Amino acid sequence: MIKKVKASKSEKIIFTLLIILGIFFLTSFLIIRDKCLFVKNFNPKKIEFKNPQNIVILNAQCGNVIIELYPNVSPNAVKRFKYLIKSNAYDDIAFHRVIENKLIQTGDLEFGKKNKLDYAKIGTGKSGLGTIKSELDGEFKYTKGSVGLARTFENDTEDSQFFIILQDEPLFKGEYTPVGKVLYGLEVLKKIKYLNNSEYVLRPDFINTFKMMN
Amino acid sequence: MRLIRLILLTFVFILPVKANTIYQLIKIPNLEIYELNSPNKLKYFYASKPFRLGVEKNIVCFNSDKKILKQKYQIINKNLNKYSASFLKKINLKYIVLCENLSISGINTAGIPDNIMKTLILDIKFDEKYFERVIHHELFHIINDSNKSVFSTEEWSKFNNKDFKYAECSTCTKKLGLDTYINTNGFFTEYSQSTASEDMAEVFSHLIFKISESKDDPILKKKEIFIKDNILKIDNNFRF
Repeated sequence: MIKKVKASKSEKIIFTLLIILGIFFLTSFLIIRDKCLFVKNFNPKKIEFKNPQNIVILNAQCGNVIIELYPNVSPNAVKRFKYLIKSNAYDDIAFHRVIENKLIQTGDLEFGKKNKLDYAKIGTGKSGLGTIKSELDGEFKYTKGSVGLARTFENDTEDSQFFIILQDEPLFKGEYTPVGKVLYGLEVLKKIKYLNNSEYVLRPDFINTFKMMN
Repeated sequence: MRLIRLILLTFVFILPVKANTIYQLIKIPNLEIYELNSPNKLKYFYASKPFRLGVEKNIVCFNSDKKILKQKYQIINKNLNKYSASFLKKINLKYIVLCENLSISGINTAGIPDNIMKTLILDIKFDEKYFERVIHHELFHIINDSNKSVFSTEEWSKFNNKDFKYAECSTCTKKLGLDTYINTNGFFTEYSQSTASEDMAEVFSHLIFKISESKDDPILKKKEIFIKDNILKIDNNFRF
């Protein structure tokens, strides 16, 4: 006959502690794994905008980034930007250049498309629409969240690539063509994948969709 | 040897990306902001450490003592404030880099203009005697590089006596003197005789400094008119 052994009080305590520890590690693992857990996802439909025709919504892994475009500051650049957004050209395009807490760059329509990524050429791609002239005369200040068109070393080479800055960059004033500013969702951009030892990202995050508000 | 290589590689890979905005803009390392709010919108940087540039890293410049930097900045700023923001925009100059003992392949130079990067590197320890005039000389190279078709070297060379020939390049000759001649004979300085571009830069800097010896020198007179006329083609509001 097998005698039923009852757990002692100390054994029960150890067992309970082990369970608590297990739950703690599992929760921590899930929290660490889900980088978007504490990022607020803004719903543009619940926000009122003064100029909804100039509001665009970039959706990335952690949610929406709501941007206001400034056609009065850079009419040609905003016109190009809107055209590309309306034609869904930015959907599934990589955030190919990311500097932690500083800058994210995307919009390489030629070499940055999901499933067609070309790591050797990413950042050099074109839209096929040709370049546009730089618009640098305005007094636009590059504060945190500003969106500008990327270019080569020379002016008048803007095309489809753009960047969003995650900190104030006074030196960018008069250097890059501004197109707008992030109103909501800067935290979403801070969660975009970056590497510590390179500005260019291997297996990058992608824009899910980029749409006009209206 | 393998171990050393491994250690070096590890060191390279664990170094974080140092995102330096100035480097991103003008591709010169080890610079820091000195002044961003100058009246003509020029942005001044200074070397916080020595830097090397160029494909062969043959351009070298060193950091300076803060006191010297302050003193020379005031002189440089005073001289460059002669140019309006709109003129500087037209000639594509935006950034001034201050450092000392600037050299190219071991040859000391007062400045290195780069109109593509909108940058002029200035050696703040260049010879005191010519320091201020040389700032304008170097600035002329930016003007010239941005307007090659305007400042035709062929047209310029015709002003000289028929038997005169410039050297192949500014460092291919020993004519490096910067003292202004008393008897000019077509050239303001010995260095003017090195190349057409240096000659133009010397005439320009003398014009800005209002050192005109051309009254009795028909060649210099023609050269001065050429520079004045072409500068006005770039900016009608420019005043010498």
